[in-house]
Amino acid sequence: MLVWAFLLPSLAVFFLYRVLPLLWNVALSFQQFSLFGGTRWSGFDHYVEMWQDDVFWTSLWNTLIFLASAPIGILLALAVSLMVNADIRGRNIYRTIVFLSYPLMTVAVGIIWRWMYDEKVGLFNFLLRKLGLIDTPLAFLQSFELVLPSVLLANIWQIIGFYMIVLLAGLQNIPQNLYEAASIDGASRWQQFVRITLPMLRPALFLAFVIGIMTSITSFDLVYVMTQGGPSHSSELLVTYIYKAAFELSKLDYAAALTVVQFLLLVTLTWIGNRLSGGNAGAVERN
Amino acid sequence: MAGRTRRILLSRFVVVPTACMVVVIIWNAYVAAHADGVVTGRVVDGSGHAIADATVRMMEQNFTTNSQRGAARTDANGAFRFDDNRSHSIQLRAEKEGVGRSDQRAVRLYFRSQHIDLRQPLVLKGPPQ
Amino acid sequence: MRRPQRYHRAPMHRYPRWPLHVMLVAISFAMLLPFYWVLKTSLTGENIFVYPPSILPHHPQPFYYVDVWYFIPFARFLLNSVVVSVLAIVANVVFNAMAAYSLTKNFAGRGWTITLLLSCMMIPFQTTIVPAYLITGKLGLLNSYLGLALPTFSTIVCIFVYKASFDAVPNSLVDAARIDGLSEFRILLQIMLPLSTSAIATNVILAFIWSWNNFLWPLIVVRDQAMQTLPLGLSRFLSDHENTTGALYAFCIMVLAPGIALFLMAQKEFIRGLTSGATKG
Repeated sequence: MLVWAFLLPSLAVFFLYRVLPLLWNVALSFQQFSLFGGTRWSGFDHYVEMWQDDVFWTSLWNTLIFLASAPIGILLALAVSLMVNADIRGRNIYRTIVFLSYPLMTVAVGIIWRWMYDEKVGLFNFLLRKLGLIDTPLAFLQSFELVLPSVLLANIWQIIGFYMIVLLAGLQNIPQNLYEAASIDGASRWQQFVRITLPMLRPALFLAFVIGIMTSITSFDLVYVMTQGGPSHSSELLVTYIYKAAFELSKLDYAAALTVVQFLLLVTLTWIGNRLSGGNAGAVERN
Repeated sequence: MAGRTRRILLSRFVVVPTACMVVVIIWNAYVAAHADGVVTGRVVDGSGHAIADATVRMMEQNFTTNSQRGAARTDANGAFRFDDNRSHSIQLRAEKEGVGRSDQRAVRLYFRSQHIDLRQPLVLKGPPQ
Repeated sequence: MRRPQRYHRAPMHRYPRWPLHVMLVAISFAMLLPFYWVLKTSLTGENIFVYPPSILPHHPQPFYYVDVWYFIPFARFLLNSVVVSVLAIVANVVFNAMAAYSLTKNFAGRGWTITLLLSCMMIPFQTTIVPAYLITGKLGLLNSYLGLALPTFSTIVCIFVYKASFDAVPNSLVDAARIDGLSEFRILLQIMLPLSTSAIATNVILAFIWSWNNFLWPLIVVRDQAMQTLPLGLSRFLSDHENTTGALYAFCIMVLAPGIALFLMAQKEFIRGLTSGATKG
């Protein structure tokens, strides 16, 4: 029974902060909760409220758009990791430089990018005007159309290093003799890429995709610091709306219902990603 | 074991934090030795003559606000001295009736109450002719 | 020195290397530009108000950093962040190693436990904030170091990193220790852990980075300014002073510096932690 004693602290933490909250969220979503007591069951009220809530639909739509950071980021990271994987001098330096943005504090990254997007003194407006592409400065973070792509770009900048690392690990697991055999058989480099690299990278690609989905859906810091939800909710994500509903509007029960929806969305997308990869994208060896 | 201990001690995880701590200790010692709050300088007029008995005001600077902290008068050689500067960012302005006022000079220090002797004197500018 | 021939194989299409270098330099430039820009502004205070911005810094001075140190309780924020991170690291190493050690043995319910842990990985922190806040409130830990660190006391990724490392220890060693009469705890401490220094290093780095950068949980749990951690202090500074002073960017640099320094020192462990954790689910 010593085994269970050893497992106890970790299991207690996971129970207290993963399992119990998940279940309590579901319960809360069906209740009218009050911090001062007097909680009562209210059935589907919150879900009906959600259905009629414009901000909810906006945030859901924005979250789905924000998910685009996963495929875009992975494609770019694939290109970068192919370049870094080639036998060139200083590949470790390049790898470090690209990966440097990932372990940084997202709040600081948000502040830096927020300032680069500034309408009056920002770097991007300066470069665009220098290159003659625009005449008047663009208000990136104040415009309804541009705000979400702008935040998306900052997110991709930060996470591309992570995807690159995962893909690099996958690339380095491909045995070299496959390429040798293929080139002896006269396959061109493009054919080698499509027939050898891509299929063998499939697990890594879909693993990166699944993790990317999870990270994008829960990406709170960047939006909170850069736009606070954007010009009237145009950059509001589900996760920021949950935070606002719970801690600014003090509607903990409604926030719980929103969380349930967010979790269902996450599970669905992950399941789809898993099925597309044809099996377990993240299997643990259970020996 | 001695070889392994040596390897651990020389690893970057020990060397870097130790070096940082050494730098921090040396810097704090330097600060402690030089933080006496003394600000000295001179007041001159447009042609470089020392101005005696001018009033120099010292203001403490916050991000956006100033608040008056003290005033001193220059002696016969035009030199003034403050002894109780507690801030790291102050503004100085000298004036004398009938002669003029100097510009507001911002003095930023490396640490609070750093001992500083102004190299450039405060120049009194008379009213425009 | 002659560049060594890297591969001896059947002649492949040799392609020139310099286009790769050009593209990688361009990519590096794009990745490093924000750093350079914020560093330049923290040293000069240029183009906070002035347009057009200058490309090279004129008159660099370190006084914004002095402003940050004194005008905001930076030392206090730093202390809070360090305390919370240390708590998280210590608890992580202890709890994760213990859990991983128990998973290396065969016992009834092992499969279920592993399945449970894997499915807990699917529950991201952001979907637990409302009840986690209520639970922490009920435990009386709001606005305290323990409350800040508690949700991060154990991570599943690191448990599996330890497990992989422990599985690699030869059984003969463990059996010999048992015959010698060592208790399980001492086996863990004196045999398993010393052979798993890379797993410990990985756990320390990952736990530190996650705890150091954590923003949402302190935002929810902290009530007084005295208990704020660095990310929280930074965002409060932004909302108070907006874009009016170069001290904001000096604050950013001061906050990023430990993370960057630690990452550069411990790159290998960090990358290994991410990839092994990722590939092991």
